[in-house]
Amino acid sequence: MKFVKEKNGGIFFYMIIAPAVLFMIWLTVYPVINVIYLSFFDYDFFSGTKNFAGIENYLQVIGDKLFQRAFLNTMVFSVSATIAEVSLGTLLAFIFYRQFRGKKLFMTIVIFPMMLSTMVVCAVWRILYHYDIGLLNYLVSSSGLEPVGWLINKNMAMISIIIVDIWQWTPFAFIIMNAAMSSIPSEIFEAAQIDGAGSFKTAFKITLPILTSQIFLILMLRTIDTFKLFGKVYALTQGGPGNSTETVSYYIYREGFSYFNMGKASAASLCVLLVIASFSFIYIRQIFQED
Amino acid sequence: MALVINKKNRIIFWIFLIFITLIILFPIYWIFATSLKTPIEAIKPVPTLFPHEPTLQNYAGVYKSGFFKNLFNSIFVAVASTTLSVLLAFPASYALVRFNFPYKFKNIFLIWILVVKILPPVVLAIPIYSMFTGLGLVNSLWGLILVYQVYTIPYCIWMLFGFLKSLPINYEEAALIDGASKNYILWKVVFPLTRTGVIATTIFSIIMAWDEFLFALLFIRTPALRTLPLVIVNFIGEYETLWGELMGVGLLTTIPILIFSSFVYKYYTKGFSMGLK
Amino acid sequence: MKKLIVFTMVFLTAFSLFAGGKSEKETGNVMLTIAGRDGAYGDSMQMAADAYHEKHPEVTFEVLKLSGGSLYEKTVIDLKSKTGTYDIILIDDPNAPQYQQAKWLADLDVLYSEEGKKVDADFIKPALKTCRFPYKDDGTLYGLPFAGNVELFAYRTDLFEKYGFSEPVKWSELLKAVKTIDEKENGVNGVVFRGSKGNPIVTGFLPIFWAFGGKIIDDSGNVTINSKAGLDALNYFLELSKYAPEGVAMYQSAQVKDAVYAGTAAVAPEVWPGWIGDLENPEKSSVVGKVKVIKHPGEIEKSSPMIGIWIAAIPEASKNKKAAFDFLQFLTSYDMQVEMADKFGNPPTRQKPYTLSSLQTKSPWYPAQLDALNNGVARTRSTDWKQIEDKLGSALQFALIGDLTAEEALIQVEKEIKTIIK
Repeated sequence: MKFVKEKNGGIFFYMIIAPAVLFMIWLTVYPVINVIYLSFFDYDFFSGTKNFAGIENYLQVIGDKLFQRAFLNTMVFSVSATIAEVSLGTLLAFIFYRQFRGKKLFMTIVIFPMMLSTMVVCAVWRILYHYDIGLLNYLVSSSGLEPVGWLINKNMAMISIIIVDIWQWTPFAFIIMNAAMSSIPSEIFEAAQIDGAGSFKTAFKITLPILTSQIFLILMLRTIDTFKLFGKVYALTQGGPGNSTETVSYYIYREGFSYFNMGKASAASLCVLLVIASFSFIYIRQIFQED
Repeated sequence: MALVINKKNRIIFWIFLIFITLIILFPIYWIFATSLKTPIEAIKPVPTLFPHEPTLQNYAGVYKSGFFKNLFNSIFVAVASTTLSVLLAFPASYALVRFNFPYKFKNIFLIWILVVKILPPVVLAIPIYSMFTGLGLVNSLWGLILVYQVYTIPYCIWMLFGFLKSLPINYEEAALIDGASKNYILWKVVFPLTRTGVIATTIFSIIMAWDEFLFALLFIRTPALRTLPLVIVNFIGEYETLWGELMGVGLLTTIPILIFSSFVYKYYTKGFSMGLK
Repeated sequence: MKKLIVFTMVFLTAFSLFAGGKSEKETGNVMLTIAGRDGAYGDSMQMAADAYHEKHPEVTFEVLKLSGGSLYEKTVIDLKSKTGTYDIILIDDPNAPQYQQAKWLADLDVLYSEEGKKVDADFIKPALKTCRFPYKDDGTLYGLPFAGNVELFAYRTDLFEKYGFSEPVKWSELLKAVKTIDEKENGVNGVVFRGSKGNPIVTGFLPIFWAFGGKIIDDSGNVTINSKAGLDALNYFLELSKYAPEGVAMYQSAQVKDAVYAGTAAVAPEVWPGWIGDLENPEKSSVVGKVKVIKHPGEIEKSSPMIGIWIAAIPEASKNKKAAFDFLQFLTSYDMQVEMADKFGNPPTRQKPYTLSSLQTKSPWYPAQLDALNNGVARTRSTDWKQIEDKLGSALQFALIGDLTAEEALIQVEKEIKTIIK
């Protein structure tokens, strides 16, 4: 803020932001406008004919039972995965805040899942979840319980996918929180220690307020990413059993790349955009607030 | 800096840590074990915890698939797209944090890139494809690097924006009083101070580019230019999945990122005491 | 930091020198780019390309090996831009009308007449017909059949014999055998099929539906799926599925294949030439000599196996049509078809290879396969087939997992198909 007052201070800032802004304009303005434009047209990709359709695409998408179900599923997935990942990640970051033997090794282990290819992650979980030969059911039935239909039971499939996502992406929240915490000036902690504060509880109390904007940031980024859930569904359940794991991204993918109904796919994307944007608004406001 | 904790807490701490580690490790162990199993053992009705006849045949299969040729494509694309993103995003985020642009420019720009990030690749891919066809950027790794910016720049800007915002301004003010130029402050004061944030951002950006499938599928044609995700899917066939090879390739694929992240971590933590005085 | 940036930059520049790509423009030489399938189809295509290159060294190839879905996405998006990226593409036959109607494919009748030739009469009729548009015996030819896939039916001869059943000729007879074996034989399910949503479950259902006399859309374009024949077929299908393994609603080819090879199912009403090749191989199969592959039972109608042809076509925008056409003829020639069948089990699209004794020893079911191909029914010709298939697939699955009754499922899918084709 003090910088701003300075004479000619602005030029420097315009210069350093220009490359990114120009680049993004070049790369994204046309595609985004194209999405908005097509959402109002009945567009036959194969023949290339376009007829203005008004809000017909939007009405069709919103009225589509499959989309409604996909939307609900995505909400359930997004909210539960995001909350679980951010809280677990934060908790882990607190655990890793102190020095202990083998910290580096443990750290590598903790962030490993995120580095695996999503396809491989899904493949291994598909083996583990397998109803007949999967290890999880082997453990379940050897402890005398009924085998679980991890991916084949319509009430269980979404939970199973959520578990995979938590396993793979908690490290994301962890690393950000870890980075954020390590940039907290240590004086704060030293002061707290002198005051006799030493438990995790005090650590939480002192640091959480400082970390609020980071937490909101991860919440937002994870909400966006989880809302785009596609790969795991594609690899694990293809939306089944029934419609229990249909998601909006899968819906859009099918409309777009399978039926090449680009009008409807665009309209669906924008509906989803509107919802995530309003969701994110809570976070954005929080992030912008301090100005 | 370490928190003082008593003995009881220490035991709880270790139990908890080991418990978490086991949960995380188990599927990874399974990937490893399966990569050493013969095809028949991999789909045995009773799962085997240890490979009975450990074999390297799966890794030989991965080698034969041309994995290492394609590995370099992936490294190139991931490193280049991340470098580009971070170099563009870091100054941009800094400007957004420290300067009041007129006409709510900051909010408009941040929301615009967020919108881009939210839109699914399926609807953005086709217009970009036709744009790039005209520019001769299809079927080239450079084209892929550029198209990845659609998602990596918004991501990097938002992340770095968050980290820069939590940075106290005192250091910059002090440097300014000492007569340092703004450019100097940006790269020599601010950049080192936010290095953990930059590392985290870099790692994720690399992972995004490393794991991206859809754009790679559409934009790359020549087999020699394929990136790893396009190679990995080849092990998942319509009629059968080559479990052993798939798991082997999965593990091999993580190694470069693992090396990279431990490298940057070391590089940055080395100068830790210098940064914050 | 600077060091790191410098290092990265040097690395990138060095790499870009060889990432930039090789230019392929040497005079007189032609490079054909083929967008093909992965797996055995890919191996076959590669072999044909290599053999052709040996004969015509001036022609080089770039063979893309893609999964079915990726192939479709890539070719549709690229053909739309009309840049002539591909010289030969493979098309799954139900998608062919989209490519044909959009006029994206080269007219082979013209290319044949330029060379003063005619399409060979040895091609299996129903297979060749899928390459024509309109879908008539005299429609314009827009491709040649590369792989002649057809759905077949497999059952366990040992178990059928043990419980006193003979080879099923009608679906209704089959049910009793399935039920008996499922109940009496330990560790064996009566039946196994793909119950996964969308294409898989539809594929499993259609031969039953057709045999019961059903039609999704009749000849005058009315949606007739919700008919008595449709209901009978679906009720039969649901009855049959009672003897399927737990979780069949999520089964895909791989699971069906595993079950057949491991001998945990007595009947598989849907097997494909692409994956039954190792049934007699004791290293991979525990049912050597126990499985017979035949064409489907009939019911009201005769046996109605579903065909799935991979069509090799030349995009209209290709800059090397002549060379591509020459290769296309080579690819579908008798010799090549035999060799691809011999090496990789690629199902031939000509009659004669099926009668070759050397191939018959390898694949004892070849006579049945040829029979099935000649009786084969193609999926509904519609540019909206993918949507129809998905809707039908969802409705069938709802019925399978008990969320809808057979009647409700058919009413729902009838309504949806009407909306799609209106």
